[in-house]
Amino acid sequence: MKPDSQNETESWKRLMVLMTRHQRQVFAYIYALVPNRYDAEDLLQETSLVICEKFNEFEDGTDFVAWACQIAYWRIRYSRQKFARSKVVFNQEIVDALAQTASTMTSELDSRHEALGNCLQKLHPRDRELVLTRYEPGSGVEEAARRSGRTLQAAYKALARLRKLLLDCVSDQLARRGVT
Amino acid sequence: MNLADKEILELNELCNALVEGMLNEAQKARLLHWLAASEEARRFYVRAMGLSASLFGYAGEMQVEAPDATVSLAKIIRVGWLWKLGSLAAAASIALMLWIEWPRQNTISAAVTVDDFVAQLTGSKGCQWVDSNSFVQPGGRLHRGQRIELAKGFAEITFDSGAQIVLQGPASLDVNSAWAATLNRGTLKASIPPEAMGFSISNPTVEVVDLGTEFTMFADAIGVATEVLVLKGEIEAQPNAGADQQPIVLREKESRRFATSGVSAVRDSEEKFAQFTQAVPLDHFIPPTDYMHWSFNEADGGVFKADASGAPFAAADLQLENISPSEFATAHGAGRWGLALQFDGHLFAKAAFPDISENTPHTVAFWVKVPKDANLSTAYAMVAWSMNSKKFGSHPIHIGWNRNPNEGTVGVLRTDYGGGFALGSTPLRDGRWHHISVVLIPGEEDGKTFVEVKQYVDGRLEGEGKPSPPGSEIFSKLSGATSGTVWLGCRLGIDRVRQERFRGQMDELFIADRALEPLEIVQLMRDNQLPQSELAAAKK
Repeated sequence: MKPDSQNETESWKRLMVLMTRHQRQVFAYIYALVPNRYDAEDLLQETSLVICEKFNEFEDGTDFVAWACQIAYWRIRYSRQKFARSKVVFNQEIVDALAQTASTMTSELDSRHEALGNCLQKLHPRDRELVLTRYEPGSGVEEAARRSGRTLQAAYKALARLRKLLLDCVSDQLARRGVT
Repeated sequence: MNLADKEILELNELCNALVEGMLNEAQKARLLHWLAASEEARRFYVRAMGLSASLFGYAGEMQVEAPDATVSLAKIIRVGWLWKLGSLAAAASIALMLWIEWPRQNTISAAVTVDDFVAQLTGSKGCQWVDSNSFVQPGGRLHRGQRIELAKGFAEITFDSGAQIVLQGPASLDVNSAWAATLNRGTLKASIPPEAMGFSISNPTVEVVDLGTEFTMFADAIGVATEVLVLKGEIEAQPNAGADQQPIVLREKESRRFATSGVSAVRDSEEKFAQFTQAVPLDHFIPPTDYMHWSFNEADGGVFKADASGAPFAAADLQLENISPSEFATAHGAGRWGLALQFDGHLFAKAAFPDISENTPHTVAFWVKVPKDANLSTAYAMVAWSMNSKKFGSHPIHIGWNRNPNEGTVGVLRTDYGGGFALGSTPLRDGRWHHISVVLIPGEEDGKTFVEVKQYVDGRLEGEGKPSPPGSEIFSKLSGATSGTVWLGCRLGIDRVRQERFRGQMDELFIADRALEPLEIVQLMRDNQLPQSELAAAKK
């Protein structure tokens, strides 16, 4: 293998590892700033393209998530017009404030994600089914209501209750472990 | 500043409305106010939205039964074709593909296709094939679309539906599916058990749909005429040529000649009936069967005895889990044969079974009774185990009932495996006993198929494997945690038992070390014992 080709391959391997490992965190960051699943997924794709193009600028040993979130932030700024159709579009001032807050919480969100897995297991299977159906790709509240035999209104209420339950459970688990 | 309980409740309500896309103008104004004014509110908001972001991820993983572990470099580079792309520019497009697949990123996607075998050469007598390309080895499996070219002798082909054809050379037959064949030329005799009713044989002049019978067909070499003689039962014959193409029902001892010129009587039909009624002695290729069997006939206790046949299997008793000894009696109930194991939606059972995870064929057969009121949360595996492949890694196999209406009728038999699933058509949630058989044939280690699956419900073929939705072709490194054990009444993750359970009853579980033939499955269902051929018995 030629040296250049070898370097490219190594670089690509590192990129793949980093992207695969951290895309959930980047998605969480984007979703906080653009609270619409499909818009956030679009932005995740666009961000990934820019990351690939600019990966030679990434310095080993620095924080990949922070770097990727910075790219995502600029993609969001660039695309705000595109997302104007969304029901909720935060003004730039709010986006900036949220971006600042979210960028300091990536580690905490990681811990919360892990704790959420345990909390999901503690739910009654019927409730867990409802929550996971709601969040399945291509699904939504209507589908969750239909599959669980609830009315739409009852499903909305149940989901709100369960999200609060999970939020509290996660906070409780982190507090016990000394994570704030 | 810390948020008061009342403020947290309001923020929570606003976040819920936002997540569900139901935020009204007044709520939007309140949310913007909070986010602009309070760092604590922003932190609460980020946590709340982070919860939903995580739930998207977990739901995606659960839907496709993904492992929880973070993907490793070793797993990534197993996707070998990526390495054919040399430059970072090309790599960028691949990386994008992986990114788009979020939230299924923590998985390994292997290129899995389904090799579609639908029949098997189960017997022969004096077989000579037209050339080396058409040679079929004794016991060899036949794939969809395969042409059988027999120069001389007799070849018995058993379709996965249970239909059996004895082809007499010179003859040419196309294997279209488990339920259909085309006789290009030559003579065949078809025996169709009730479980394969609906099997059809066609050619340019006629299509014969079996209504539960035994019949013979002779097609001339140039596709001009076909003679059909019904030996037992009845058939429906649809002429494909001639002026009158109305379907004809032919009963026992009736015959017709279907030609491009029209339908007519068969000459010398009595002689032909006499000739085809004669049984042809064939050599059969049924290997001996080793198996494990749990009868569940114990009246109490937390252990169910195994009986085994054959050297490869060591008898391993089933042990109840997630149940206290004082509750053992509730796990025993009336069965289809004697007593049965009762799953209450909480308990599960396991037995050591090293061979179950090996990359070899298996047939899993049992009786099951699912309550009419069984709900989706108790739809998880009746039988599960991890199957290992050197090429693909490990993947759980689950036999249960379908709980996903987007992929088929809820309540029918479903087998999930690496890269695919099979769905039946008989609703199992009727409070009645059903006989389930699932035949699994692993792909070659150097091939593209992880495993091929055939399902039988009450002896009838129901559901051949088909590819799963993208993202479900997930494999992990070979796992020691769930391998080498058969699990009943629970769902497996890649490396552990999940919380989800099955509710219903199970009786007479057999796990055999080969792909049982359809007729053997019917016999097992009827007699509650595995048939042993004379050849197989002689080998023991």
